[in-house]
Amino acid sequence: MKKKKLLLSMLGLLFSFAVLAQSKRVTGKVTSSDDGSALPGVSVQVKGTTKGTQTNNDGNFAIDVNANETLVFSFIGMQTSEVPVGGKTVINVTLANDGVQLEQLVVVGYGTQNRKDVTSAVSTIKGDAIKSIPAQSFDQLLSGKAAGVNINIPNGLLNNPPVIRVRGFNSITSSSYPLIVVDGVIVFSQDAGSVGPGGIAANPLSDINPNDIETIDILKDAAATAIYGSRAANGVLVITTKKGKAGKATITYDSNFGWTKPYRTFDLLNASEYIMMKNEAEKNRATLAGQTYSPLYFENLDPNGKPYDTNWYDYVFQTGFQQSHNINISGATPKSSYYFSGGYTNQEGFLKKNTFERKNARLNISHNVTEKLIFGANVTYSSSDAFAPNSGSLQGTNFNTGGLGRVPLVTAPNVPAFLPDGSYNINTTGALANTPGNLLNKDRSGFYNPVVLLDLDKATAQTDRFLSNIYATYNFTKNLSFRTDYGIDNQTVDSRTFNNPIHGDGFAAKGVASNYLYKSTRWTWQNYVNYNQKFADKHTVSATLGTEQQYTKRNMWSGSRQTVADPFFDTYEGNYTVNNNPPFNFFTENGFQSYFGRVTYDFAKRYYFTASLRRDGLSALAAGKKFGNFYGVSAGWNLSEETFFKDALGDKISTLKLRTSYGKVGNAGISDYASLSLYDFSNYGGSAPALYFSQAGNPDLKWETSTKLDIGLNFGFLKDRITGELTYYKNNIDGLILNSPLSPSMGVPGNSVAKNVGSMYNQGVEFSISGAVINNKAFRWNTTLNFATQKNEVTALAEGNSDIFGVTQLETANITRVGYALGSLYVVETRGVNPATGQRIYVNGKGQEVQYSHAVATGKSRWTFLDGTTAPAITAAADSKIMGNTIPKFYGGWDNNFSYKKFDLSISLIYSAGFYVYNGTKAGLHDQRFWNNASDILDRWTETNTNGSWPRVVYGDNISNGSSFPISNNVEKGDFIKCRNIALGYNLPANVINKIKLTNARVFAQVTNAFMLTKYSGTDPETSSNGNSNLAPGIDRNSIPQARTLSCGLSLTF
Amino acid sequence: MKNTIYTKLLVTALLALSISSCKEDLLDPVPKTSVSDLSAYDTPDRIESLVNGLYRGVKNGNFLGGRYFIYNDIRGEEFLNQTNNGVTGLQTWNFTINASSNEVNNLWSSAYAAINNMNLFLDKVDAAPAKIATDKVANYKGEARFLRALSYFSLLNIYAQPYTKDNGASLGLPLRLKGETGAGNSNNLKRSTVAEVYAQILDDLNFAETNLPASYALQDLNVTRAHKNTAIALKVKVYLAMGKYAELATEAAKIVPAAAPFKAATGVGHELNANFAAIFTNYRTLESILSMPMATNDVPGTQNQLAFYYLPGPTGGGEFSLNPTGIYGSASFADTDDRKKLTSTSGTRIYLTKFPGASPYIDWVPVMRYAEVLLSYAEAKARLATGVDASAVALLNAVRGRSKGSVLAPATKADLITAILTERRIEFLGEGVRSFDITRTGSPFPAKGPVNAVSPSQSEYVWPIPTTELAVNKDCVQNP
Repeated sequence: MKKKKLLLSMLGLLFSFAVLAQSKRVTGKVTSSDDGSALPGVSVQVKGTTKGTQTNNDGNFAIDVNANETLVFSFIGMQTSEVPVGGKTVINVTLANDGVQLEQLVVVGYGTQNRKDVTSAVSTIKGDAIKSIPAQSFDQLLSGKAAGVNINIPNGLLNNPPVIRVRGFNSITSSSYPLIVVDGVIVFSQDAGSVGPGGIAANPLSDINPNDIETIDILKDAAATAIYGSRAANGVLVITTKKGKAGKATITYDSNFGWTKPYRTFDLLNASEYIMMKNEAEKNRATLAGQTYSPLYFENLDPNGKPYDTNWYDYVFQTGFQQSHNINISGATPKSSYYFSGGYTNQEGFLKKNTFERKNARLNISHNVTEKLIFGANVTYSSSDAFAPNSGSLQGTNFNTGGLGRVPLVTAPNVPAFLPDGSYNINTTGALANTPGNLLNKDRSGFYNPVVLLDLDKATAQTDRFLSNIYATYNFTKNLSFRTDYGIDNQTVDSRTFNNPIHGDGFAAKGVASNYLYKSTRWTWQNYVNYNQKFADKHTVSATLGTEQQYTKRNMWSGSRQTVADPFFDTYEGNYTVNNNPPFNFFTENGFQSYFGRVTYDFAKRYYFTASLRRDGLSALAAGKKFGNFYGVSAGWNLSEETFFKDALGDKISTLKLRTSYGKVGNAGISDYASLSLYDFSNYGGSAPALYFSQAGNPDLKWETSTKLDIGLNFGFLKDRITGELTYYKNNIDGLILNSPLSPSMGVPGNSVAKNVGSMYNQGVEFSISGAVINNKAFRWNTTLNFATQKNEVTALAEGNSDIFGVTQLETANITRVGYALGSLYVVETRGVNPATGQRIYVNGKGQEVQYSHAVATGKSRWTFLDGTTAPAITAAADSKIMGNTIPKFYGGWDNNFSYKKFDLSISLIYSAGFYVYNGTKAGLHDQRFWNNASDILDRWTETNTNGSWPRVVYGDNISNGSSFPISNNVEKGDFIKCRNIALGYNLPANVINKIKLTNARVFAQVTNAFMLTKYSGTDPETSSNGNSNLAPGIDRNSIPQARTLSCGLSLTF
Repeated sequence: MKNTIYTKLLVTALLALSISSCKEDLLDPVPKTSVSDLSAYDTPDRIESLVNGLYRGVKNGNFLGGRYFIYNDIRGEEFLNQTNNGVTGLQTWNFTINASSNEVNNLWSSAYAAINNMNLFLDKVDAAPAKIATDKVANYKGEARFLRALSYFSLLNIYAQPYTKDNGASLGLPLRLKGETGAGNSNNLKRSTVAEVYAQILDDLNFAETNLPASYALQDLNVTRAHKNTAIALKVKVYLAMGKYAELATEAAKIVPAAAPFKAATGVGHELNANFAAIFTNYRTLESILSMPMATNDVPGTQNQLAFYYLPGPTGGGEFSLNPTGIYGSASFADTDDRKKLTSTSGTRIYLTKFPGASPYIDWVPVMRYAEVLLSYAEAKARLATGVDASAVALLNAVRGRSKGSVLAPATKADLITAILTERRIEFLGEGVRSFDITRTGSPFPAKGPVNAVSPSQSEYVWPIPTTELAVNKDCVQNP
């Protein structure tokens, strides 16, 4: 109250001064040019004085001025207007939105550019396009939205980071994942789940609420990315969060509810088919080996005398429910703008027990302290809890015994999950039981009983993320400003696992609990000067010059204990009798010291020129080699601004701009001490310290460089009702850091040393077109189609161009070889089944056809030529060949938005073609050990079905199906068209919402992964069992399927 | 106006700060969890740690810490696979292993990683900045060369044809004797012959015998670090593999007296431990010549542990059970024998319980026992003699009698040799000797369960050279 009085008296004083000046009174109204609405709170000032007032709620003002004075009307987000008073007594002003609206701005790194002036390859995705779709992170929603940006969802595990490739794979051993910049600060983008216990996905981008995102600018070519220098080779995703907009406070509430299910599962043998098949296999085996046959599997009866017939999927998958709620309040006054949001999301996956819950808050604020000094901050905190059962669906976990992607496929259907007394069906040796009580199977029935694992095992990750930056901008003059920006990105992931003592991975150890605490800390300090000036009305020049320092520390400490003191304990903090070694400890640091600059010039908006340069110093490189220079230049010609063009074609072609760019950027994915040769300590026998050679460093290591050429054209027809872009690019990547393989007999750690030895290129054409197909008052149809081709070829590898193999935990099905695309499939060719013998036909390295019988009589060879003579055994090493590329030849997306009166409908399609997938899951589905099989095995070769599509079954055979080594029978074309999302919305009519004091209300329903057209026989050709791996892409091995989610929700604006 | 001056000052200060604050250490962080190769030899303690590191190398779970011995047992006929698990030796057991199998690649890489640490140590220790006594350096070098011999010998037994086949004329191993740091290019190296590798092994062992200490102050070290008798015992085994029985006898005589009681007279006083089972629970008896020590903070690693493979659930993984028609069913292996008491029946299956540890399975892994020296010595004497060698019979009955086995009196030389070979199957069941005995005697691998026999002429008889080696080492060729 006191303050208010003081303010009033001060205002009064001010007023009396004004009165003393004794001039004339001017009144007027300020409105917005957008919609003519009154603008309250507009600053009305007398130029060159401190005298001023504000408009009232109706946009009206009154001020006393002299005739020779000028009034300055200013408002955040609007263009400032100056009006000389002269003889006027009424001055009505219309303020236009600030020169360029936000959506026309492109954030280019340490500054912004008008989209029309951009001469580099940048795609922009608006936040509105991705909000309200159920997902854990915004990146999952970008598939098909921008040309040249390929985004795959690896599988349906919650919070599994998508595979993001901007213009293809740009590295071999470093990451191909783009750089992520949020509000100007380079943030963590490494999958935090991959550094913990494994098995728990933790996409760091899920800490950013998709609803807070205003725009995502994807920088693709060297001219756009060079300002990020050594970290720009994979492209840059620049995320700008929402700011308050001029006008009264807006409150928005969004929520949605959804139900998720697995999309496509396998059709497996039922119990009686299983018993028949396995016994047939055993009979074949015994006969071939010259032994006596006795059956292995039997019908098992429940207490009611009914045979058990278990569908293990029922115990592993479910319909998961999810919900999310977001509220934000934003607005701006003449001096300040604010955006505040809070979000909550809680999701259950279709995999039982798989959950993801996130709470987050954001405050974006800026304030003009003086006319020249602006302070601001973007502060966000996010806390998430994830529970992820052992899904076997992340890189390095594909063959986990308890992996729930595989367990329902391999477990015998003729045994139950529970015994008649209600107890778990488990045996005393830690496996799913085959013979307790009245169960009769003579061989194994499965690895683990998944019900026990789901009930009793735990795997959680609790993530706290504080991501913030504070900044100050000082405008020396209208044209020259200085900005300092300090950012913090702190991430803590507390992961905990517990494997129960009764059954599964914790059985032998009688219960194991492990805790992992991962902390990554980063600060970034940027200081830069921006200058822009227009000369002689035609020459526009802008320049940026600055420095940046960044320090990152990552460390993890962990503990593991086993043998529970009492079955009651299920946390590490409980009591155990054995303390194990810490499973995973590390401590590592790195630093960047950078200098950067950019100059842009345009002549009359017709000719454009941009150049940027960055000099980066990185701690991971050896002394004297720490610094490197990166650059990008671009030029553009805006033909449509030329008079001759306007005269000739201006009525038809509204925009035509040619542009080209060239430059060199780097990939800094170098491990923190890569230049050093290191010795590590461990111990010998528990108490004697043991020191050993642990890392062969390379002091000559430097950045991988990517030289990027880009030629493109932007066009617009019919007053830009149709717009589009056509681009050709070529990226030459040199000095690829490869673990140059060493003979294992040399005994060097990792059998390799990192060197800058590889080269490859990516080239392709990107095309996108969007337009308003129908634009009636009632019915509108907007469509956007994008299409991109890509060709990747490896041109040099380590000395002698040695091949690099891509490993899927226990299996090697990928190869990187000179002359081929990265990560091509490398398998032994098979040619179906020999109708004469029922044996699988293989082609050996010499091109000869050989066949395999898993069981033979004593002294006979398993491998024979088709004439029956002994053949050398097929091995993956000697007989594999390249049988397909995993990188799609072309891909893209097609978005359609329809609106009819108050209804809106959007349909997003994505497609990929010209690539192959190694369907390793298919190998497991036809394995002739105890494993259950896909029901197509019924068409196996028998003496009466000699044209069967699967070989004669032989019990124990893990070779004819491709379990032992990959075969081409499991290589499939991956071409697909998928409907990523369909959403139908309805905007409530104004007369209804006005009654409840809303300005806008929309309800919607949608389905993700609505349908897919593909000939692929696995669950989904998009699957990537190895996540973001460069060397082992295109593998579908034991992963859980993709999710299909139905959801509905509403969006309210007050 | 004041305001603007302050802000201008602030801006200038920030600008100046940011340009001047090129923090020296921002670009030079020092690793906190590893030491640089340049400082690894700086102190006597670090050198001692490096020597322990050499043992740690061979103790790798893929090598002598577990799997090497498991593979040697499951290739033989004594065990039946129960879990069909491709990760726990299924292909080794059923002879479907190939050059790209994980077993083949991992064992090779682990052994050579250990060898390289030894080679680096031997290259560098003389010039180490740390001040250590020369006799200590000689001891250390003796240990390094002993371990190198042990490593090459172990590799030969599984990747190469036995010496006895053709006096070592077959392809052996790439014989790496210089430390490799990753710099330079020494990828290509031919396989030396089996005989050449044996020559190097013997050279290393003779050096080791000369330079190793006679014993250590702590019995723990007598079992876990090499001393003179350790080198002699390994020479006994090496000569057994080579079929050089006279040389074997000469070496064995250094640590085995001509008549009972059998106890090493010099150095560590090795002798049979009266209680057989106690050898595998006490770990530090005088019978243990070399064992790989384990502790809760130094475990063999998942699926490398002897007890996990052989013990039935709920304690072990029950990966392999004993073959009832193997040595378990032999008449020589009576139920009253103490060694038979280290087996148990679970359901319809029989399991080996010699290694009784529960998870985390920290049973020490026996590499060499005095009983093996005695039986090797007995075999050499038996083979060298024209008739039935009485001292060989005495050695045999010493080992047998300790476990209350019946006293044997073979009638012929052939019977004696057979009895000794049978005794080895009983005595060393689960200790990784079976495959070694089959190959050095040129016998076929007998059939077991659904797996048929493998004759010495079949390629499965020895393991292939791993594909990872052949892919890079262009001078290395595959086994025929």
